Amino acid sequence: MASRARLFKEYKEVQRDRGQDSDIQLLCDETNIYRWTALIKGPTDTPYQEGVFQLAINVPEQYPLVPPQVRFVTKIFHPNVHFKTGEICLDILKTAWSPAWTLQSVCRAVIALLAHPEADSPLNCDCGNLLRSGDNRGYQSMALMYTRLAAVASVPNSSA
Amino acid sequence: MNSDGGGASEEDRPRDDEILAFHHAIRAADAEKLEFVGDKEPLSVLAAEYEAGNPVFRAKVEKLGQTYVAIRRARGDGNCFFRSFMFSYLEHILETRDETEVKRIQKNIEQSKKALIELGYQEFTFEDFLSIFVEQLDSVLPGRESSVDIDQLVEKCRDRYISDYVVMFFRFVTSAEIRKRAEFFEPFILGLSNMNVQQFCKTSVEPMGEESDHVHITALSDALGVPVRVVYLDRSVGADGKNTDVNHHDFLPPDCPTVEMPPVVLLYRPGHYDILYTREVQNLAPVPRVEEPQDLPELKGLQEAKETPVKSIQDANSTQEAIAA
Repeated sequence: MASRARLFKEYKEVQRDRGQDSDIQLLCDETNIYRWTALIKGPTDTPYQEGVFQLAINVPEQYPLVPPQVRFVTKIFHPNVHFKTGEICLDILKTAWSPAWTLQSVCRAVIALLAHPEADSPLNCDCGNLLRSGDNRGYQSMALMYTRLAAVASVPNSSA
Repeated sequence: MNSDGGGASEEDRPRDDEILAFHHAIRAADAEKLEFVGDKEPLSVLAAEYEAGNPVFRAKVEKLGQTYVAIRRARGDGNCFFRSFMFSYLEHILETRDETEVKRIQKNIEQSKKALIELGYQEFTFEDFLSIFVEQLDSVLPGRESSVDIDQLVEKCRDRYISDYVVMFFRFVTSAEIRKRAEFFEPFILGLSNMNVQQFCKTSVEPMGEESDHVHITALSDALGVPVRVVYLDRSVGADGKNTDVNHHDFLPPDCPTVEMPPVVLLYRPGHYDILYTREVQNLAPVPRVEEPQDLPELKGLQEAKETPVKSIQDANSTQEAIAA
């Protein structure tokens, strides 16, 4: 199966690069290569910088022709992440997907999204409205509060 | 992009995987209507299609019959140019048994691979796609373990895995060629969209299902060194308002020996490509090729590449304008 072979290559690549990209930790489910977990560090100079966020990655059979399903497990206040489901609004996970992306580079794109919220295509409308109305301070403090509540210190255990 | 404008409740909105599943279901339903590549049909089916249609179309379809004899449809899923190119080229090799041509294209494939790596693509992201295309190339030459006949080729080109993987390989090659010659392609891309070269490749070339334009055709034809003819069937008429000659444009890669009829001939109707067959297709002899000298300085090739296709794209542009007019 093509997807399995590809994922195995990605797995080896992740093992080889271990420690190089300290902002991303990609872990493959020991029993199922189609299920991965990622721990990403919030980017600096953002309200997420103190946090470590867990992503659940579900890889479909037709991968890499179709994108992996990625969602936040850790609660996060961000305009492009659904507050309840953790679903992410990111073009490369939908229409702009191509097999040139990898699970690793998808994680990097998610980190970039944290640093560059797109208020015009919100999944979290409350958050989007704060940004669109120019209330940057309100957005920052809400995002920081949820980062401290959900993504700091508690991560290693509560992540499962 | 999702945008509920703040009005609709978030719960009403289908989840992404539901949207994707729905999207796949629509495509699957489409698949039952038409294979990735259809059967070879006489050109008269085209005439039947326009029987009650626009008189300019009818006149052009009739003229089309002077040069072309048959059509093979491709599924209209946004990949039709690449699927048509794939079948048309492989069928050409199957008929001509032209080993020299296969060796030549393999060299170009190696060049594309190098370009991709130089552009920062990780090899494991494209190597599976590349090897599926190379397998197909091998299978259309005679005397191989995997050699196929035309029926088997049709079957393979209708296989989702093989067809999608080859399409994806072409998308990688096209993207690499555009990015490698970004300066050359930039003005044409600006003419099509508001994107820069990199964004264009990321959003309009690399993702499956993104439709092809003359930029894609030029890039793929140049990168693989395969001439492509596109015959334009549209409602445009000549300057006198009467001329219903069918326009065509030949995409000729640099350093390509002149060919009477490119190996890949496609019929373009606004938004869609199908495969066309010329009258003499059965007794077409292998196109003699001038072997490129091995030590040709790369710079020379590049400079020529910069000059020749400028004209060709402008030609294509004027045809596009004609369509729009």
